[in-house]
Amino acid sequence: MIRRPIKSSTAAFLGVLSVLLLLGGYTFLAHRQYQRNPDDTTIPRWSQLHKGLQSAIEVNRRSEDRWLVVDAVASGQRLFLGLAGGVAASLLLGLAMGCFTPIEAFLHPPLSLLAKVPPTAALAVFFVLVGTGNNMYVAMIAFGVLPTMTLTVNLAVKEFPDELLYKAYTLGASHMEVVWTIIFRQVLPRFIDAFRLSIGPAMVYLIAAEMVVGDVGFGYRIRLQSKLLNMSVVYPYLAILAAFGFGMDSLLRLLQRKLCPWYEPRR
Amino acid sequence: MNLAFTPPTRTTPIPMKSNRFALAPAAWLLGAALMTCAPSALPAPAFSLAWSEYPSWSAFGVAHVFKLIDGREGQTGPVEDKWGVDIVLKEAEYDPCLTMYGSGQCDAVCMTTLDALNPALGRPSVVIVPTSTSAGADALIVPKTITNIKQLRGRKVYGLAKSVSEYCFNRNLELLGERPEDYKYSNMDPGAAAVALQQKQREIEAIIVWNPFVLETLNKRKDVHVLFDSTTIPNEIIDSVVMAQASLDKPGGRQFACAVVDAFYQINQRLAEPATRDDTLIALGEKFSHLDLASMKKVVEQTRFYATPKAALDLFTGAELKAVTGRVVDFCVKQEIVSSAPKIGYGSQAEAGAVALRFDPAFIRAVAEKK
Repeated sequence: MIRRPIKSSTAAFLGVLSVLLLLGGYTFLAHRQYQRNPDDTTIPRWSQLHKGLQSAIEVNRRSEDRWLVVDAVASGQRLFLGLAGGVAASLLLGLAMGCFTPIEAFLHPPLSLLAKVPPTAALAVFFVLVGTGNNMYVAMIAFGVLPTMTLTVNLAVKEFPDELLYKAYTLGASHMEVVWTIIFRQVLPRFIDAFRLSIGPAMVYLIAAEMVVGDVGFGYRIRLQSKLLNMSVVYPYLAILAAFGFGMDSLLRLLQRKLCPWYEPRR
Repeated sequence: MNLAFTPPTRTTPIPMKSNRFALAPAAWLLGAALMTCAPSALPAPAFSLAWSEYPSWSAFGVAHVFKLIDGREGQTGPVEDKWGVDIVLKEAEYDPCLTMYGSGQCDAVCMTTLDALNPALGRPSVVIVPTSTSAGADALIVPKTITNIKQLRGRKVYGLAKSVSEYCFNRNLELLGERPEDYKYSNMDPGAAAVALQQKQREIEAIIVWNPFVLETLNKRKDVHVLFDSTTIPNEIIDSVVMAQASLDKPGGRQFACAVVDAFYQINQRLAEPATRDDTLIALGEKFSHLDLASMKKVVEQTRFYATPKAALDLFTGAELKAVTGRVVDFCVKQEIVSSAPKIGYGSQAEAGAVALRFDPAFIRAVAEKK
């Protein structure tokens, strides 16, 4: 039979095994490359990676700061401001669209068109409209995640069962009470799911923009160090990005469980 | 695939252990057959050249367009046939070209000698031909209200970090008796910096960029001017074709180097002849930028081609190159572009010994003599 359940210990073992295989494969590749050319820096061995990570953490001789710290602060600020703006706006817009049909009729066409424009392709448009300062990253992330997320929230609101709506009105709720105490709560877990899914794209937009105009940040460092072939710095940076994305995702799932214990996501 | 380190392809199949002896004569016969008809039946050895759009490097793309060479694998043009090799062109943006070369994905690459130092540490390399030098193609552009470099102290100057732009900026400061530490060089992609200045974004006043962005910016904003440019440091920023020593050592490697050099000079000949000059210029500029013919003429003035073997040999055998390269190496070490100073050599492998980067005039000479 397909989809036969397995023991949780077996599942954990298989998960760990696949990660170990990945690491083992990398070790093999790096070792082979080292044998071919000991001076190569494109597939660094673990000791080289360790050195690379160290150079990112240590106080840099010339710039007198720690790369990882300044990059994390800069990129983190841009990402969180952008996400906060985009997510808050799309929650409001999505709720408004789902609850009030004229607003939906007004906003739906442009949003569904904009949702299909990859912000990375429109990079130059953002430079032109918002400049190249920090505002540009924030605007790009916010407008990048906004259309899709608004439409997701809108859909979730529309799926809200009519019976519950009638019941709330029968019990004497006002429009605003229905929106905030009934619909918002019902939509919240779906909204958190949408938030989770938007972190990946937001990081893509941020890195792409930083690669072109950043003078600090993850994208800037990765572009510069790749050009200098210092993959021993690039790979740890990628690992940190992965860890960050994974951490954010887990946090939001935890939040979802705490705030909406009743919610059973469909498998 | 890692071309640089791949062992040569076997021409005979490896027989199974059990019938090794049975297959040996057959394999021998096959080998003999291959050898007798080698010149015509075997495909010419293929080597790849990665290039990005830049006036003197677009020459290779244009050579493909004009059918002097055929950049596709397995196809050859007259220049390739002359040297018995197959040039495979790989076009990419400049940065990916450097990464491609550094990781062994191509045999040769178009880059500045400044950017060659770092990959050469991991992959011993040879500069086979200088293609052009920046003589005004890199420039610091500021509003006309700024007439003295001292006015920029403490203000941000935008340009690509750890690149020829920063080198040009620092060198000019030195020539003016200024200390680079007093200035805030800030990273930005040259294209984005040019757009920002053209739009008069408040925070961006001074940019150091290269062509086509220099000419485009000057065309679009009449209230800015060039404060200094690379005319003060001729023959220091050198655009070139660099090839891996390991690829040169492969069969056909030296012929490939000659074919690349030959193709470059043939395009230069078309540029020199009045009948084909404008057509070639337009072809060179086609993807470079939307500058018109008049501007393209300016571009090739500011990106001065080493148009003849003599010009290139004068550079490669002159005393100036060593001093310049020494300065470039110092800059790269100070800027941490390289982890340690690479050993630089001049002349043939026998003359220079084991070095990371070598300027070898042999291929230019070979092409000049075969004409």
